Amino acid sequence: MFIHAGMILVVMAVTFAVAKLLKLTIELSMFVAAIAGALAHGAGIPVRHIVDGAFTYYDVCLIFITATFFMNLLKEAGGVTYIIRGIITTFHRQRFVCLLLLTLVLLIPGALTGSGAVTVLIMGTMVGNVLTYMGISETRTAAIIFLCAAMSAAAPPINLWAMMAAAGSNMPYVGFMQPLLIITVSGALLSMFILGWKGKAVDLEKALKELPTPPEKMNFLRVIIPFLVFFALVLAGRIWPFQMPILGLPLMFLISAFAVFLISPKKLPLLEIASTTIRQLIPLVGIMIVVGVLIQIMALSGARGLISLGVVTLPLTVLFAALWLILPWSEGLVQYAAAPLLGVPLILLFNMKGLNPVIALSAMAVMWPLGDCLPPTAVVGRATVIELKYKGSYYGEFVKTCLIPMLIILFVCTLFIIFSKQLSFLVG
Amino acid sequence: MSEKYIKTVKIISFCIALILMIMAGRAFYEHRYFKGAIVLSPGVTEVKKLSDYFSPLEGTANDCNIYILDSGNPGGTVMVLGGTHPEEPGANLAAQVLVENAQLEKGRLIVVIWANRSASTVSRPGDAYPQFYHISTDWGVKKFRMGDRWANPLDSWPDPEVYVNYPSRQLLAYMDIRNLNRTWPGKADGALVERTCYAFIELIKEEKVGLFIDLHEAELEYPVISTIVANQNAQEIAAMVSMILTAFEFKRPIGMEFSPPSLHGLSHREVGDYSDALSLLFEAPEPFLDRVRGITDEHLLLTGKDPFVMKAGEYGLLYEKIDEEGWPIDVRVGRHCSTILQSVQTYSEMYPDKVVAISKVPRYAEVIENGVGHYFYDPDEAPTDRVVYE
Amino acid sequence: MTTINLVIMIIYHIISVFVVFVLIWSIIKTKDVQEAILYCIILIPFTLRVFHIK
Ligand SMILES: [Zn+2]
Repeated sequence: MFIHAGMILVVMAVTFAVAKLLKLTIELSMFVAAIAGALAHGAGIPVRHIVDGAFTYYDVCLIFITATFFMNLLKEAGGVTYIIRGIITTFHRQRFVCLLLLTLVLLIPGALTGSGAVTVLIMGTMVGNVLTYMGISETRTAAIIFLCAAMSAAAPPINLWAMMAAAGSNMPYVGFMQPLLIITVSGALLSMFILGWKGKAVDLEKALKELPTPPEKMNFLRVIIPFLVFFALVLAGRIWPFQMPILGLPLMFLISAFAVFLISPKKLPLLEIASTTIRQLIPLVGIMIVVGVLIQIMALSGARGLISLGVVTLPLTVLFAALWLILPWSEGLVQYAAAPLLGVPLILLFNMKGLNPVIALSAMAVMWPLGDCLPPTAVVGRATVIELKYKGSYYGEFVKTCLIPMLIILFVCTLFIIFSKQLSFLVG
Repeated sequence: MSEKYIKTVKIISFCIALILMIMAGRAFYEHRYFKGAIVLSPGVTEVKKLSDYFSPLEGTANDCNIYILDSGNPGGTVMVLGGTHPEEPGANLAAQVLVENAQLEKGRLIVVIWANRSASTVSRPGDAYPQFYHISTDWGVKKFRMGDRWANPLDSWPDPEVYVNYPSRQLLAYMDIRNLNRTWPGKADGALVERTCYAFIELIKEEKVGLFIDLHEAELEYPVISTIVANQNAQEIAAMVSMILTAFEFKRPIGMEFSPPSLHGLSHREVGDYSDALSLLFEAPEPFLDRVRGITDEHLLLTGKDPFVMKAGEYGLLYEKIDEEGWPIDVRVGRHCSTILQSVQTYSEMYPDKVVAISKVPRYAEVIENGVGHYFYDPDEAPTDRVVYE
Repeated sequence: MTTINLVIMIIYHIISVFVVFVLIWSIIKTKDVQEAILYCIILIPFTLRVFHIK
C-alpha cells in the first residue's frame, strides 16, 4: 500500500506540473491532477467521489461570498474612502498613529472574510496610495500591503486554515480568537513599522485630491453601524443562544450588508454588486471546491494517509525546525488544501505529545498565509502587484522586501508552537 | 481563439458538468432513500416511532423506529442506542443483531438502530467513505448504508457560528449541532438533532428506562477507545463489566472510565443527569476512522486491516493495538454484543427488582466464529408483517 | 422557532440559487475557456444543493 499511495502522489504531482506547464490555471491543474490520481488508483472516474469532494467546503464558500459582498457594499457606499480620508486628515502629523490605524483598517476585510485577496481588492489601492504619499517606496508599499493582507486573512474571527484543520480533526473552532488576534495584530504592526516607519510627512493636499471622495452625507455612524449590526448578531448568538434562531455566518453577513444598503447615503445597485462579488470570488471559490475534490481522491487512494503518516512520524524537533519552511511552501503549492492535508495530522500529533492544540494550530494558521506570495500559486502576492500596478521585479524586489518581517513572524509562530502548553492561558 | 471554439468548449464542459451532476445525483438519491430490511425477532413485541414520544418529529428524517421487546414478565427496562454516529457500523449492526435475535425472559429491552437517521443518509465530503457495505449471510449478501458522523445538511441547515449546548452553555464546534452525541439532553424547539435528543429523553422518562447504553466505534488515534464510559450513576456496573470481559472473554482488554463532569452534550453525561437511567457508552476500535489510514474502501471498513495505521502503531501514536489481523467487523460487533449482555446481567444482579433477562443474542466468541452475517435473516423468507424497513 | 429555522433554511437555498444564476450568466459571458470550465465545475455542488439532492 505504501508503494501504491506513493505512486498516486507521484502521478498527481507530475500531472499538476505538466498541467501548469501547459498554462492551465492552478484550479484546473489541481482538478486534472485529482482525476489523474483517481485513474491511477484504478477506480475509473469515480464520479460520486468527485462530486462528493466538491461539497467539502460548501459552507465556507458561502461565508466567503457573503462576507465579501458585505465589504464590497461598504466600499461602494463610500465607507472605506471615508475612513481612510478621515485617518489622514486627522493624523497626518502623527506618523505613528497614522500607520497604526491604517494597519487596523487593512486587517478588517480579511479578518471578516478569511481571505487576503479580499483585503487587497478592497483596501489595496487606497491604502497603498496613502502609504506612497507618506514617502514609502513602491516596493515597500507593496510588501506592506501583502504582509498585512496575509495577517488579515489569519486574523479572527474567520481563519479558514484553522477552521478547515479543526473541522478535520473533530476539534471545535473555539478559543482561537485571542491567540490569533495577538499573533496577527503584532505581525501586521511589525511589518508596517519595519517597512513604513521611515518616510516623509504626508502631502495632505495632494493625498486628499487624489483619493476618491465619499458621498457628502457619509459619516462615521453610517460606517460603523453595519459592523455593529454584525457583532451584535454574533454576540446575541452567544448571550441568548437558546432564544436566537440559528442564523449562521452567511446570513449574519447578509443582514449586515442589508444595514449598509439601508443607511448608505447613495442608492446601491444590490444585484449588480452581488453578481460582481461572485464573479470576483470565482477563482477563490473554485479553488476551495477543487481542493475538496483533490482531498477526496487523496483520501480514497491512500495518498492522504501517506502524507499524514509521513508528517506524524517525524520527530518533534525536526518538525519545530522545519515547519516555518514547510507551511508557507505548502500554501504556495496547494493553497487552502495545505490545512486539511498537513494541519490535521499535525494537530493530532501535537495533541498526543501534550502541546496545546489550539495555540499550536493558531500559530500554524498564521504561518500558512505568508506563503501566499510563493510559487506556483502566489495568489495574494500576484493580486497585490496587479492592484498596485507595481513595476518592480516580483522576486528580486517585492518578495525580497517581504522576507525580514516574514521571518520574524515565522519565528514568533514557531515559538508559539513550541511553548504552546505554557501559553495555554491565551485560549479564550 | 475564435468565438466558435470558445462556444464549443463552453457547451461541452457544461454538458460534462450536467452528466456528472446527474450521475452523482442519482448515487446520492439512491443512498438517501435506501431502506434496509430488518427481520423482527419473535421477541419484538412492538415497533413504535420516535415521534410517538415527541410529535413534532413526525415526518422528519430523524423519526426512527423504536423496537420494543417486552417479556411480559415484570422486571426493569434497558435501552440500547445504535446509529448515534452512522459512520460507526459496529454500533448499528450490533443493535440490529439485537432486534433480529433477542428474546426477553424478564423485563423489557428497547432498541434503536438509527438514532441519528439523518446522518445515515449522507456521505462525508472529503473523506471518500463508501456509500454502502455488504455483509455475507447464510442466505446471500445483505446491503447496509454507510453514513456520517453529522446529520445531513439537507435536514439541518445552516449551522450556527458556534454551537452552544443546551442548557449547559458549553461552546462546541459549529457542525456539532448535527452530532447526536453532543446535543444531549436536547432542546424541544432546537435544531433537528437537538429535538431528536429531546425526544429520546422523553422516551427514556416515559418508558422508565433503567439502564441506557449508547454504542460507538472510535479511531485508534483517539484516547477514548476500547472502553466503557460511565456516568457516575453507573460506575460500579462499568467497572465490574470491564473486569469480567477482560478476564474471561475478550482477546484485548476493555477499560472503563468516568464521564468527565465538565464535558456536556454527551450521552454518558446528560442521560444519566437528566433522567433516572444509568448511562453507559461503549467504544470499539474502528481503524477505518483513522486519519493516517490508507486506501479508504469497504474492505478497510469491514476488515479493519491497514498497514498505515499499523505503522502509526509502531511509532507509539495509537491508543489501541493493531496487527495483521486488523479489527474485523465481527470482532467489533462481538465486543458490543458481549458488553451489552454483561452490562444487563450485572445491572440485574445489582438491582434485583429490575431484572432484565435476554436470550438468543450471540456473545463475542460466537459472533467471531459464525460471522455477524449469520445473525441477519432473509427478509424474503420471513412473514411480511415481521419485516420492517428503515 | 422551528418555523423560523425553516425560513432561514429556505433563505440559504435562495442564496445558492443566486450563485447558480450568476455562475450560468458568467459561463455565457466569459471569453476565457479555462474560466468557463472552472465555472462549470463550481456549478455542480451549487446546483445539487439547490435541487436538495446533496
Ligand atoms: Zn461515535
